[in-house]
Amino acid sequence: MVTPPPKNTPGGMATFNILHGFPEALVRGMRNSFLQDSDYHHMTQCETLEDVKLNMSESDYAEALADDTSLSPSGLQKAAIDKLVTEFKYLRTQTVEPLSTFLDFITYEYMIENVMLLLKGTLSGRDINELIAQCHPLGMFKESTMRSIPTFENSAKGYSDLYQTVLVDTPVGQYFAMFLEESADRVGGEVRNVLEEVEIEIIKSSLIKFWIEDFYGFVQKLGGDTADIMGEILSVRADTNAINITLNSFGTPLNEPAMRASDRKGLYPAVGHLYPAGTAMLVDVSDEDELGRVLELFPQYSNIWNIHSAGGGEKSIDDAFYERDVQMLELAFESQMHYAVFYAYVKLKEQEIRNLVWITECILQAQKDEINKFVPVFSHHAPWRMTKRR
Amino acid sequence: TGSSLGGPKTFNFKHQTATMSSETCTSEYCNAGWSEVLTHMSPYGYANFGVAFGLGLSVVGAAWGIWLTGSSLVGAAVKAPRIRSKNLISVIFCEATAIYGVIMAIILTNKVDSPESSVYYLDDDWDYAEYYYAGYGMFSAGLSVGLTNIASGVSVGIAGSSCAIADAQDSSLFVKILIVEIFASALGIFGIIVGIIQSNSCTFPVS
Repeated sequence: MVTPPPKNTPGGMATFNILHGFPEALVRGMRNSFLQDSDYHHMTQCETLEDVKLNMSESDYAEALADDTSLSPSGLQKAAIDKLVTEFKYLRTQTVEPLSTFLDFITYEYMIENVMLLLKGTLSGRDINELIAQCHPLGMFKESTMRSIPTFENSAKGYSDLYQTVLVDTPVGQYFAMFLEESADRVGGEVRNVLEEVEIEIIKSSLIKFWIEDFYGFVQKLGGDTADIMGEILSVRADTNAINITLNSFGTPLNEPAMRASDRKGLYPAVGHLYPAGTAMLVDVSDEDELGRVLELFPQYSNIWNIHSAGGGEKSIDDAFYERDVQMLELAFESQMHYAVFYAYVKLKEQEIRNLVWITECILQAQKDEINKFVPVFSHHAPWRMTKRR
Repeated sequence: TGSSLGGPKTFNFKHQTATMSSETCTSEYCNAGWSEVLTHMSPYGYANFGVAFGLGLSVVGAAWGIWLTGSSLVGAAVKAPRIRSKNLISVIFCEATAIYGVIMAIILTNKVDSPESSVYYLDDDWDYAEYYYAGYGMFSAGLSVGLTNIASGVSVGIAGSSCAIADAQDSSLFVKILIVEIFASALGIFGIIVGIIQSNSCTFPVS
Protein backbone atom coordinates (compact mmCIF):
# COMPACT_ATOMS: atom_id res chain seq x y z
CA MET A 1 0.00 0.00 0.00
CA VAL A 2 1.98 2.98 1.20
CA THR A 3 5.25 1.20 1.82
CA PRO A 4 7.12 0.42 -1.42
CA PRO A 5 7.18 -3.30 -2.31
CA PRO A 6 10.26 -5.28 -1.30
CA LYS A 7 13.05 -5.41 -3.87
CA ASN A 8 13.81 -9.08 -3.32
CA THR A 9 12.12 -11.97 -1.61
CA PRO A 10 13.30 -13.85 1.48
CA GLY A 11 14.23 -16.84 -0.70
CA GLY A 12 13.24 -20.44 -0.34
CA MET A 13 14.92 -23.22 1.61
CA ALA A 14 18.10 -23.18 -0.42
CA THR A 15 18.69 -19.42 -0.57
CA PHE A 16 17.26 -17.93 2.64
CA ASN A 17 20.42 -18.46 4.67
CA ILE A 18 22.51 -16.45 2.25
CA LEU A 19 21.27 -13.09 3.51
CA HIS A 20 19.21 -13.91 6.55
CA GLY A 21 20.72 -17.07 8.05
CA PHE A 22 22.70 -15.27 10.71
CA PRO A 23 19.88 -13.08 12.14
CA GLU A 24 17.46 -16.00 12.10
CA ALA A 25 19.92 -18.19 13.99
CA LEU A 26 20.46 -15.33 16.45
CA VAL A 27 16.74 -15.17 17.20
CA ARG A 28 16.58 -18.91 17.64
CA GLY A 29 19.46 -18.74 20.08
CA MET A 30 17.59 -16.01 21.94
CA ARG A 31 14.61 -18.33 22.16
CA ASN A 32 16.61 -20.20 24.77
CA SER A 33 16.26 -17.28 27.13
CA PHE A 34 12.53 -17.69 27.74
CA LEU A 35 11.71 -18.65 31.30
CA GLN A 36 10.88 -22.32 31.76
CA ASP A 37 8.01 -23.93 33.66
CA SER A 38 10.37 -24.60 36.57
CA ASP A 39 11.36 -20.92 36.75
CA TYR A 40 7.73 -19.84 36.87
CA HIS A 41 7.03 -22.51 39.48
CA HIS A 42 9.83 -21.27 41.73
CA MET A 43 8.80 -17.66 41.32
CA THR A 44 5.19 -18.25 42.25
CA GLN A 45 6.37 -19.95 45.44
CA CYS A 46 8.34 -16.87 46.51
CA GLU A 47 7.16 -14.83 49.45
CA THR A 48 9.04 -11.61 48.84
CA LEU A 49 10.44 -9.80 45.88
CA GLU A 50 13.96 -10.46 47.11
CA ASP A 51 13.38 -14.18 46.59
CA VAL A 52 12.10 -13.46 43.11
CA LYS A 53 15.27 -11.58 42.32
CA LEU A 54 17.33 -14.49 43.63
CA ASN A 55 15.44 -16.90 41.40
CA MET A 56 15.91 -14.69 38.37
CA SER A 57 19.64 -14.45 38.91
CA GLU A 58 19.94 -17.91 37.35
CA SER A 59 17.92 -17.02 34.30
CA ASP A 60 18.84 -14.85 31.37
CA TYR A 61 17.72 -11.77 33.27
CA ALA A 62 20.64 -11.93 35.69
CA GLU A 63 22.64 -9.18 34.04
CA ALA A 64 19.67 -6.95 33.49
CA LEU A 65 18.75 -7.01 37.16
CA ALA A 66 22.26 -6.85 38.58
CA ASP A 67 22.17 -3.06 38.97
CA ASP A 68 18.88 -2.71 40.82
CA THR A 69 19.35 -2.95 44.54
CA SER A 70 15.70 -3.62 45.29
CA LEU A 71 13.15 -5.03 42.92
CA SER A 72 9.79 -3.50 42.15
CA PRO A 73 7.31 -4.52 39.45
CA SER A 74 7.85 -1.35 37.47
CA GLY A 75 11.64 -1.60 37.86
CA LEU A 76 11.51 -5.19 36.67
CA GLN A 77 9.37 -4.20 33.71
CA LYS A 78 11.72 -1.42 32.74
CA ALA A 79 14.82 -3.65 32.99
CA ALA A 80 13.18 -6.43 31.00
CA ILE A 81 11.98 -4.07 28.26
CA ASP A 82 15.42 -2.48 28.02
CA LYS A 83 16.92 -5.95 27.59
CA LEU A 84 14.42 -6.72 24.82
CA VAL A 85 15.19 -3.43 23.11
CA THR A 86 18.96 -4.06 23.24
CA GLU A 87 18.46 -7.47 21.64
CA PHE A 88 16.12 -6.04 19.01
CA LYS A 89 18.55 -3.28 18.10
CA TYR A 90 21.33 -5.85 17.78
CA LEU A 91 19.15 -7.90 15.45
CA ARG A 92 18.18 -4.82 13.46
CA THR A 93 21.81 -3.87 12.83
CA GLN A 94 22.63 -7.38 11.59
CA THR A 95 19.87 -7.50 8.98
CA VAL A 96 19.62 -6.48 5.35
CA GLU A 97 16.67 -5.76 3.09
CA PRO A 98 13.92 -6.86 3.07
CA LEU A 99 14.25 -8.19 6.61
CA SER A 100 15.26 -4.78 7.91
CA THR A 101 12.04 -3.24 6.60
CA PHE A 102 10.14 -6.10 8.23
CA LEU A 103 11.76 -5.32 11.59
CA ASP A 104 10.99 -1.63 11.10
CA PHE A 105 7.34 -2.54 10.65
CA ILE A 106 7.39 -4.18 14.06
CA THR A 107 8.59 -0.90 15.59
CA TYR A 108 5.92 1.24 13.89
CA GLU A 109 3.29 -0.15 16.23
CA TYR A 110 5.22 1.18 19.21
CA MET A 111 5.79 4.50 17.47
CA ILE A 112 2.03 4.89 17.03
CA GLU A 113 1.56 4.14 20.72
CA ASN A 114 4.15 6.74 21.67
CA VAL A 115 2.61 9.44 19.47
CA MET A 116 -0.82 8.78 20.97
CA LEU A 117 0.63 8.77 24.48
CA LEU A 118 2.15 12.19 23.89
CA LEU A 119 -1.07 13.59 22.40
CA LYS A 120 -3.26 12.19 25.13
CA GLY A 121 -0.84 13.34 27.78
CA THR A 122 -0.91 16.92 26.64
CA LEU A 123 -4.70 16.92 26.66
CA SER A 124 -4.58 16.05 30.34
CA GLY A 125 -1.82 18.56 30.84
CA ARG A 126 1.01 16.30 31.95
CA ASP A 127 4.67 17.23 31.85
CA ILE A 128 6.49 16.44 28.61
CA ASN A 129 9.53 14.90 30.32
CA GLU A 130 7.38 12.54 32.31
CA LEU A 131 5.64 11.51 29.10
CA ILE A 132 8.87 10.90 27.24
CA ALA A 133 10.10 8.73 30.10
CA GLN A 134 6.96 6.66 29.72
CA CYS A 135 7.34 6.11 25.99
CA HIS A 136 8.08 2.61 24.79
CA PRO A 137 11.77 2.45 23.87
CA LEU A 138 11.20 0.39 20.72
CA GLY A 139 9.21 3.22 19.18
CA MET A 140 11.34 6.22 19.89
CA PHE A 141 12.10 8.79 17.28
CA LYS A 142 14.03 12.03 17.43
CA GLU A 143 13.91 13.88 20.73
CA SER A 144 13.06 17.18 19.03
CA THR A 145 10.19 15.57 17.15
CA MET A 146 8.78 14.13 20.30
CA ARG A 147 9.02 17.40 22.19
CA SER A 148 7.13 19.30 19.52
CA ILE A 149 4.16 16.91 19.41
CA PRO A 150 2.37 18.22 22.52
CA THR A 151 2.55 21.83 21.34
CA PHE A 152 -0.28 21.28 18.84
CA GLU A 153 -3.93 21.83 19.60
CA ASN A 154 -6.64 19.23 19.64
CA SER A 155 -8.68 20.29 16.63
CA ALA A 156 -8.92 19.40 12.99
CA LYS A 157 -6.56 22.16 11.93
CA GLY A 158 -4.21 21.30 14.75
CA TYR A 159 -3.84 17.75 13.53
CA SER A 160 -3.06 18.79 9.96
CA ASP A 161 -0.43 21.18 11.26
CA LEU A 162 0.96 18.40 13.39
CA TYR A 163 1.27 16.20 10.35
CA GLN A 164 2.73 18.80 8.03
CA THR A 165 5.44 20.01 10.31
CA VAL A 166 6.33 17.17 12.60
CA LEU A 167 5.08 13.76 11.69
CA VAL A 168 5.69 13.85 7.96
CA ASP A 169 9.31 12.80 8.42
CA THR A 170 8.56 9.90 10.70
CA PRO A 171 7.64 6.47 9.35
CA VAL A 172 4.20 6.69 10.92
CA GLY A 173 3.53 9.98 9.13
CA GLN A 174 2.10 8.09 6.15
CA TYR A 175 -0.56 6.49 8.36
CA PHE A 176 -1.41 9.87 9.85
CA ALA A 177 -1.79 11.31 6.35
CA MET A 178 -4.21 8.54 5.45
CA PHE A 179 -6.15 9.20 8.65
CA LEU A 180 -6.44 12.89 7.81
CA GLU A 181 -7.67 12.04 4.31
CA GLU A 182 -10.24 9.70 5.76
CA SER A 183 -11.50 12.16 8.34
CA ALA A 184 -11.70 14.94 5.76
CA ASP A 185 -14.25 12.78 3.95
CA ARG A 186 -16.41 12.58 7.00
CA VAL A 187 -19.39 14.86 7.04
CA GLY A 188 -19.96 17.92 9.13
CA GLY A 189 -18.57 19.82 12.06
CA GLU A 190 -21.43 18.89 14.45
CA VAL A 191 -20.38 15.30 14.27
CA ARG A 192 -16.86 16.20 15.27
CA ASN A 193 -17.89 17.92 18.51
CA VAL A 194 -19.74 14.87 19.75
CA LEU A 195 -16.66 12.82 19.23
CA GLU A 196 -14.26 14.95 21.23
CA GLU A 197 -13.84 12.52 24.05
CA VAL A 198 -13.47 9.49 21.81
CA GLU A 199 -11.41 11.30 19.22
CA ILE A 200 -8.04 10.15 20.55
CA GLU A 201 -9.12 6.53 20.65
CA ILE A 202 -10.43 6.80 17.11
CA ILE A 203 -7.14 8.25 15.91
CA LYS A 204 -5.21 5.43 17.55
CA SER A 205 -7.50 2.70 16.18
CA SER A 206 -7.30 4.22 12.70
CA LEU A 207 -3.51 4.41 12.78
CA ILE A 208 -3.26 0.81 13.96
CA LYS A 209 -5.70 -0.21 11.23
CA PHE A 210 -3.58 1.41 8.52
CA TRP A 211 -0.45 -0.15 9.99
CA ILE A 212 -1.95 -3.66 9.95
CA GLU A 213 -3.15 -3.27 6.37
CA ASP A 214 0.23 -1.94 5.24
CA PHE A 215 2.13 -4.69 7.03
CA TYR A 216 -0.18 -7.32 5.57
CA GLY A 217 0.34 -6.01 2.05
CA PHE A 218 4.11 -5.97 2.50
CA VAL A 219 4.13 -9.50 3.87
CA GLN A 220 2.01 -10.84 1.00
CA LYS A 221 4.48 -9.37 -1.48
CA LEU A 222 7.34 -11.17 0.26
CA GLY A 223 5.68 -14.47 -0.54
CA GLY A 224 6.59 -17.99 0.56
CA ASP A 225 6.39 -19.16 4.15
CA THR A 226 6.62 -15.60 5.44
CA ALA A 227 3.41 -14.64 3.63
CA ASP A 228 1.59 -17.70 4.94
CA ILE A 229 2.60 -17.51 8.58
CA MET A 230 2.79 -13.76 9.02
CA GLY A 231 -0.40 -13.31 7.01
CA GLU A 232 -2.24 -15.60 9.40
CA ILE A 233 -0.81 -13.84 12.46
CA LEU A 234 -1.80 -10.42 11.13
CA SER A 235 -5.29 -11.60 10.10
CA VAL A 236 -5.92 -12.82 13.60
CA ARG A 237 -4.56 -9.56 14.99
CA ALA A 238 -6.92 -7.58 12.78
CA ASP A 239 -9.88 -9.69 13.88
CA THR A 240 -8.93 -9.23 17.54
CA ASN A 241 -8.87 -5.48 16.97
CA ALA A 242 -12.26 -5.52 15.28
CA ILE A 243 -13.84 -7.49 18.11
CA ASN A 244 -12.25 -5.30 20.77
CA ILE A 245 -13.33 -2.08 19.05
CA THR A 246 -16.90 -3.34 18.91
CA LEU A 247 -16.86 -4.53 22.50
CA ASN A 248 -15.33 -1.31 23.83
CA SER A 249 -17.78 0.85 21.91
CA PHE A 250 -20.81 -0.39 23.83
CA GLY A 251 -21.91 2.38 26.16
CA THR A 252 -19.98 5.10 24.38
CA PRO A 253 -21.20 7.59 21.76
CA LEU A 254 -19.57 5.41 19.12
CA ASN A 255 -22.32 2.85 19.56
CA GLU A 256 -25.13 5.11 18.41
CA PRO A 257 -26.73 4.09 15.10
CA ALA A 258 -25.63 7.28 13.39
CA MET A 259 -22.03 6.84 14.50
CA ARG A 260 -21.78 3.16 13.73
CA ALA A 261 -21.96 3.28 9.98
CA SER A 262 -19.85 6.37 9.56
CA ASP A 263 -17.21 6.06 12.24
CA ARG A 264 -17.04 2.60 13.75
CA LYS A 265 -17.10 0.95 10.34
CA GLY A 266 -14.01 2.90 9.36
CA LEU A 267 -12.05 1.44 12.23
CA TYR A 268 -12.29 -2.20 11.16
CA PRO A 269 -9.18 -3.31 9.25
CA ALA A 270 -9.57 -4.48 5.67
CA VAL A 271 -7.70 -7.72 6.32
CA GLY A 272 -8.52 -10.73 8.42
CA HIS A 273 -10.95 -13.62 8.52
CA LEU A 274 -13.79 -11.36 9.61
CA TYR A 275 -13.37 -9.12 6.58
CA PRO A 276 -15.57 -8.43 4.59
CA ALA A 277 -18.64 -10.37 5.65
CA GLY A 278 -17.98 -10.40 9.38
CA THR A 279 -17.09 -6.73 9.70
CA ALA A 280 -20.20 -5.77 7.69
CA MET A 281 -22.26 -7.64 10.28
CA LEU A 282 -20.31 -6.13 13.16
CA VAL A 283 -21.23 -2.63 12.01
CA ASP A 284 -24.87 -3.26 12.99
CA VAL A 285 -24.15 -4.84 16.34
CA SER A 286 -25.48 -2.80 19.24
CA ASP A 287 -25.05 -5.00 22.28
CA GLU A 288 -23.27 -8.09 23.51
CA ASP A 289 -25.98 -10.57 22.53
CA GLU A 290 -25.89 -9.46 18.94
CA LEU A 291 -22.09 -9.58 18.99
CA GLY A 292 -22.30 -13.15 20.31
CA ARG A 293 -24.65 -14.13 17.53
CA VAL A 294 -22.35 -12.71 14.86
CA LEU A 295 -19.33 -14.49 16.32
CA GLU A 296 -21.19 -17.83 16.40
CA LEU A 297 -20.74 -17.89 12.65
CA PHE A 298 -16.94 -17.91 13.00
CA PRO A 299 -15.83 -21.04 14.84
CA GLN A 300 -12.42 -19.76 15.83
CA TYR A 301 -13.93 -16.81 17.66
CA SER A 302 -17.06 -18.44 19.06
CA ASN A 303 -14.89 -20.36 21.56
CA ILE A 304 -13.30 -17.18 22.80
CA TRP A 305 -16.65 -15.45 22.93
CA ASN A 306 -18.13 -18.25 25.01
CA ILE A 307 -15.35 -17.81 27.53
CA HIS A 308 -16.27 -14.15 27.75
CA SER A 309 -20.00 -14.65 28.05
CA ALA A 310 -19.58 -17.35 30.69
CA GLY A 311 -18.56 -14.58 33.03
CA GLY A 312 -15.33 -12.79 33.75
CA GLY A 313 -14.57 -14.82 36.87
CA GLU A 314 -12.19 -17.43 35.57
CA LYS A 315 -10.81 -15.72 32.53
CA SER A 316 -11.43 -12.44 30.78
CA ILE A 317 -11.68 -12.10 27.03
CA ASP A 318 -8.25 -10.49 26.98
CA ASP A 319 -6.76 -13.56 28.62
CA ALA A 320 -8.46 -15.79 26.07
CA PHE A 321 -7.05 -13.67 23.24
CA TYR A 322 -3.57 -13.78 24.82
CA GLU A 323 -3.69 -17.56 25.09
CA ARG A 324 -4.68 -17.93 21.48
CA ASP A 325 -1.97 -15.49 20.40
CA VAL A 326 0.74 -17.35 22.36
CA GLN A 327 -0.30 -20.62 20.73
CA MET A 328 -0.04 -19.13 17.24
CA LEU A 329 3.23 -17.35 17.87
CA GLU A 330 4.81 -20.50 19.27
CA LEU A 331 3.85 -22.23 16.03
CA ALA A 332 5.84 -19.64 14.11
CA PHE A 333 8.97 -21.15 15.62
CA GLU A 334 8.11 -24.57 14.25
CA SER A 335 9.36 -23.86 10.74
CA GLN A 336 12.58 -22.37 9.48
CA MET A 337 13.55 -19.96 6.71
CA HIS A 338 10.93 -17.27 7.20
CA TYR A 339 10.66 -13.90 8.92
CA ALA A 340 7.75 -14.55 11.26
CA VAL A 341 10.12 -15.76 14.01
CA PHE A 342 11.28 -12.18 14.53
CA TYR A 343 7.77 -10.87 15.10
CA ALA A 344 6.93 -13.89 17.26
CA TYR A 345 10.02 -13.39 19.40
CA VAL A 346 9.17 -9.74 20.18
CA LYS A 347 5.55 -10.54 20.99
CA LEU A 348 6.33 -13.59 23.11
CA LYS A 349 8.98 -11.66 25.05
CA GLU A 350 6.34 -9.00 25.71
CA GLN A 351 4.00 -11.70 27.01
CA GLU A 352 6.74 -12.95 29.29
CA ILE A 353 7.31 -9.44 30.62
CA ARG A 354 3.56 -9.16 31.27
CA ASN A 355 3.74 -12.45 33.16
CA LEU A 356 6.66 -11.26 35.29
CA VAL A 357 4.90 -8.03 36.17
CA TRP A 358 1.72 -9.96 37.07
CA ILE A 359 3.61 -12.36 39.34
CA THR A 360 5.57 -9.63 41.12
CA GLU A 361 2.44 -7.51 41.58
CA CYS A 362 0.60 -10.48 43.08
CA ILE A 363 3.47 -11.16 45.46
CA LEU A 364 3.69 -7.49 46.41
CA GLN A 365 -0.03 -7.26 47.12
CA ALA A 366 -0.11 -10.68 48.79
CA GLN A 367 -2.79 -12.05 46.47
CA LYS A 368 -1.54 -15.57 46.13
CA ASP A 369 -4.71 -17.06 44.68
CA GLU A 370 -4.54 -14.85 41.63
CA ILE A 371 -0.91 -15.53 40.97
CA ASN A 372 -1.37 -18.40 38.52
CA LYS A 373 -3.42 -16.44 36.04
CA PHE A 374 -0.66 -15.87 33.54
CA VAL A 375 0.02 -17.49 30.18
CA PRO A 376 3.47 -19.10 30.15
CA VAL A 377 5.44 -19.14 26.93
CA PHE A 378 6.73 -22.45 25.49
CA SER A 379 5.30 -24.28 28.41
CA HIS A 380 5.05 -28.06 28.44
CA HIS A 381 1.83 -27.81 30.41
CA ALA A 382 0.04 -25.57 27.95
CA PRO A 383 -3.53 -26.74 27.24
CA TRP A 384 -2.88 -27.24 23.54
CA ARG A 385 0.05 -29.51 24.29
CA MET A 386 -1.69 -31.54 26.96
CA THR A 387 -4.54 -32.67 24.75
CA LYS A 388 -2.19 -34.48 22.41
CA ARG A 389 -0.71 -36.64 25.14
CA ARG A 390 -3.94 -38.44 25.95
CA THR B 1 36.77 -34.97 -46.61
CA GLY B 2 40.16 -35.53 -45.02
CA SER B 3 40.44 -36.68 -41.47
CA SER B 4 41.69 -34.27 -38.83
CA LEU B 5 42.62 -35.27 -35.34
CA GLY B 6 39.05 -35.31 -34.20
CA GLY B 7 37.19 -36.77 -37.10
CA PRO B 8 36.64 -40.25 -38.35
CA LYS B 9 38.09 -41.21 -41.66
CA THR B 10 35.34 -42.96 -43.41
CA PHE B 11 32.18 -40.98 -42.72
CA ASN B 12 30.40 -39.64 -45.71
CA PHE B 13 27.98 -36.95 -44.77
CA LYS B 14 26.68 -36.14 -48.17
CA HIS B 15 24.38 -39.16 -48.15
CA GLN B 16 22.90 -38.07 -44.90
CA THR B 17 22.01 -34.58 -46.04
CA ALA B 18 19.85 -35.91 -48.82
CA THR B 19 17.42 -37.45 -46.36
CA MET B 20 17.09 -34.37 -44.21
CA SER B 21 14.64 -31.51 -44.70
CA SER B 22 14.80 -29.47 -47.83
CA GLU B 23 15.82 -26.40 -45.89
CA THR B 24 19.15 -27.93 -44.97
CA CYS B 25 22.04 -26.42 -46.78
CA THR B 26 23.54 -28.85 -49.27
CA SER B 27 26.79 -27.13 -50.02
CA GLU B 28 29.90 -28.99 -49.00
CA TYR B 29 30.90 -26.08 -46.77
CA CYS B 30 27.84 -26.42 -44.49
CA ASN B 31 27.44 -28.62 -41.46
CA ALA B 32 25.08 -31.52 -41.79
CA GLY B 33 23.36 -30.79 -38.52
CA TRP B 34 23.97 -31.44 -34.85
CA SER B 35 25.24 -34.94 -35.39
CA GLU B 36 28.20 -33.60 -37.30
CA VAL B 37 28.91 -30.90 -34.72
CA LEU B 38 28.78 -33.28 -31.80
CA THR B 39 30.79 -36.06 -33.37
CA HIS B 40 33.44 -33.65 -34.56
CA MET B 41 34.11 -32.40 -31.04
CA SER B 42 37.25 -34.08 -29.87
CA PRO B 43 36.85 -36.81 -27.29
CA TYR B 44 39.77 -35.23 -25.47
CA GLY B 45 37.59 -32.13 -25.22
CA TYR B 46 34.74 -34.18 -23.85
CA ALA B 47 37.00 -35.84 -21.30
CA ASN B 48 38.44 -32.59 -20.06
CA PHE B 49 35.00 -31.03 -19.85
CA GLY B 50 34.05 -34.01 -17.74
CA VAL B 51 36.89 -33.21 -15.37
CA ALA B 52 35.83 -29.57 -15.22
CA PHE B 53 32.16 -30.32 -14.57
CA GLY B 54 32.97 -32.99 -12.04
CA LEU B 55 35.24 -30.77 -10.02
CA GLY B 56 33.43 -27.49 -10.57
CA LEU B 57 29.91 -28.64 -9.81
CA SER B 58 31.07 -30.60 -6.75
CA VAL B 59 32.74 -27.52 -5.36
CA VAL B 60 29.62 -25.44 -6.08
CA GLY B 61 27.56 -27.94 -4.12
CA ALA B 62 30.00 -28.05 -1.23
CA ALA B 63 30.32 -24.28 -1.05
CA TRP B 64 26.56 -23.79 -1.17
CA GLY B 65 26.16 -26.29 1.66
CA ILE B 66 28.82 -24.68 3.83
CA TRP B 67 27.23 -21.29 3.12
CA LEU B 68 23.84 -22.51 4.33
CA THR B 69 25.01 -24.33 7.42
CA GLY B 70 27.80 -21.98 8.43
CA SER B 71 25.61 -18.90 8.75
CA SER B 72 23.15 -20.70 11.01
CA LEU B 73 25.94 -22.23 13.06
CA VAL B 74 27.61 -18.87 13.68
CA GLY B 75 24.33 -17.19 14.59
CA ALA B 76 23.09 -19.88 16.94
CA ALA B 77 26.48 -20.12 18.64
CA VAL B 78 26.20 -16.50 19.83
CA LYS B 79 23.65 -17.45 22.44
CA ALA B 80 24.50 -21.14 22.83
CA PRO B 81 28.29 -21.46 22.55
CA ARG B 82 28.32 -25.15 23.43
CA ILE B 83 27.20 -26.09 19.91
CA ARG B 84 30.30 -24.73 18.23
CA SER B 85 32.52 -27.79 18.02
CA LYS B 86 29.88 -30.48 17.56
CA ASN B 87 28.20 -28.78 14.63
CA LEU B 88 31.38 -28.49 12.63
CA ILE B 89 30.53 -32.04 11.55
CA SER B 90 27.93 -30.58 9.21
CA VAL B 91 30.61 -28.47 7.58
CA ILE B 92 32.83 -31.53 7.26
CA PHE B 93 30.03 -33.45 5.53
CA CYS B 94 29.74 -30.65 3.00
CA GLU B 95 33.49 -30.63 2.50
CA ALA B 96 33.36 -34.36 1.76
CA THR B 97 31.30 -33.71 -1.34
CA ALA B 98 34.06 -31.46 -2.66
CA ILE B 99 36.58 -34.21 -1.95
CA TYR B 100 34.54 -36.65 -4.04
CA GLY B 101 34.83 -34.20 -6.92
CA VAL B 102 38.60 -33.92 -6.48
CA ILE B 103 39.00 -37.70 -6.38
CA MET B 104 37.05 -38.08 -9.60
CA ALA B 105 38.97 -35.28 -11.25
CA ILE B 106 42.33 -36.84 -10.35
CA ILE B 107 41.25 -40.26 -11.64
CA LEU B 108 40.04 -38.81 -14.92
CA THR B 109 42.99 -36.51 -15.45
CA ASN B 110 45.39 -39.39 -15.09
CA LYS B 111 43.74 -41.09 -18.04
CA VAL B 112 44.47 -38.21 -20.41
CA ASP B 113 48.08 -38.31 -21.56
CA SER B 114 49.71 -35.42 -23.29
CA PRO B 115 50.90 -36.32 -26.79
CA GLU B 116 54.59 -36.97 -27.29
CA SER B 117 54.81 -35.21 -30.59
CA SER B 118 52.39 -33.22 -32.63
CA VAL B 119 50.26 -35.45 -34.75
CA TYR B 120 47.96 -34.12 -37.44
CA TYR B 121 46.58 -37.29 -38.87
CA LEU B 122 45.59 -40.28 -36.78
CA ASP B 123 47.02 -43.69 -37.57
CA ASP B 124 45.23 -45.90 -40.02
CA ASP B 125 44.58 -48.49 -37.33
CA TRP B 126 43.39 -45.97 -34.78
CA ASP B 127 40.86 -47.54 -32.38
CA TYR B 128 38.01 -45.12 -32.89
CA ALA B 129 35.58 -47.11 -30.80
CA GLU B 130 37.82 -46.95 -27.77
CA TYR B 131 38.51 -43.31 -28.51
CA TYR B 132 34.90 -42.24 -28.48
CA TYR B 133 34.06 -44.55 -25.61
CA ALA B 134 36.76 -42.95 -23.48
CA GLY B 135 35.66 -39.43 -24.32
CA TYR B 136 31.97 -39.88 -23.70
CA GLY B 137 32.56 -42.09 -20.68
CA MET B 138 34.72 -39.59 -18.90
CA PHE B 139 32.35 -36.72 -19.70
CA SER B 140 29.46 -38.63 -18.24
CA ALA B 141 31.42 -39.72 -15.18
CA GLY B 142 32.26 -36.09 -14.47
CA LEU B 143 28.65 -35.05 -14.85
CA SER B 144 27.43 -37.87 -12.60
CA VAL B 145 29.71 -36.81 -9.82
CA GLY B 146 29.13 -33.08 -10.28
CA LEU B 147 25.36 -33.07 -10.40
CA THR B 148 24.90 -35.51 -7.54
CA ASN B 149 27.28 -33.50 -5.43
CA ILE B 150 25.33 -30.27 -5.96
CA ALA B 151 22.20 -31.97 -4.70
CA SER B 152 24.04 -33.61 -1.85
CA GLY B 153 25.82 -30.42 -0.82
CA VAL B 154 22.66 -28.29 -0.73
CA SER B 155 20.78 -31.00 1.10
CA VAL B 156 23.46 -31.40 3.75
CA GLY B 157 23.58 -27.61 4.08
CA ILE B 158 19.89 -27.20 4.80
CA ALA B 159 19.85 -30.16 7.19
CA GLY B 160 22.98 -28.86 8.89
CA SER B 161 21.41 -25.44 9.37
CA SER B 162 18.38 -26.97 11.07
CA CYS B 163 20.69 -29.22 13.09
CA ALA B 164 22.65 -26.28 14.51
CA ILE B 165 19.49 -24.41 15.42
CA ALA B 166 17.84 -27.47 16.99
CA ASP B 167 20.99 -28.28 18.93
CA ALA B 168 20.97 -24.76 20.35
CA GLN B 169 17.50 -25.45 21.72
CA ASP B 170 17.90 -29.01 22.96
CA SER B 171 21.16 -30.94 22.80
CA SER B 172 19.49 -34.34 22.63
CA LEU B 173 18.31 -33.55 19.11
CA PHE B 174 21.78 -33.32 17.62
CA VAL B 175 22.49 -37.00 17.01
CA LYS B 176 19.04 -37.64 15.56
CA ILE B 177 19.28 -34.84 13.02
CA LEU B 178 22.83 -35.91 12.19
CA ILE B 179 21.33 -39.15 10.85
CA VAL B 180 19.36 -37.08 8.35
CA GLU B 181 22.59 -35.46 7.24
CA ILE B 182 24.31 -38.82 6.86
CA PHE B 183 21.60 -39.94 4.46
CA ALA B 184 21.93 -36.68 2.57
CA SER B 185 25.66 -37.05 2.13
CA ALA B 186 25.18 -40.63 0.92
CA LEU B 187 23.82 -39.09 -2.27
CA GLY B 188 27.28 -37.87 -3.11
CA ILE B 189 28.71 -41.32 -2.57
CA PHE B 190 26.27 -42.73 -5.14
CA GLY B 191 27.62 -40.26 -7.64
CA ILE B 192 31.26 -41.14 -7.17
CA ILE B 193 30.58 -44.90 -7.18
CA VAL B 194 28.80 -44.70 -10.52
CA GLY B 195 31.42 -42.30 -11.83
CA ILE B 196 34.26 -44.66 -10.98
CA ILE B 197 32.48 -47.63 -12.56
CA GLN B 198 31.82 -45.64 -15.70
CA SER B 199 35.33 -44.33 -16.06
CA ASN B 200 37.04 -47.57 -15.12
CA SER B 201 37.23 -49.03 -18.59
CA CYS B 202 37.82 -45.71 -20.30
CA THR B 203 41.32 -45.48 -21.69
CA PHE B 204 42.42 -43.39 -24.59
CA PRO B 205 44.17 -45.37 -27.29
CA VAL B 206 47.81 -44.56 -27.90
CA SER B 207 49.46 -44.50 -31.25
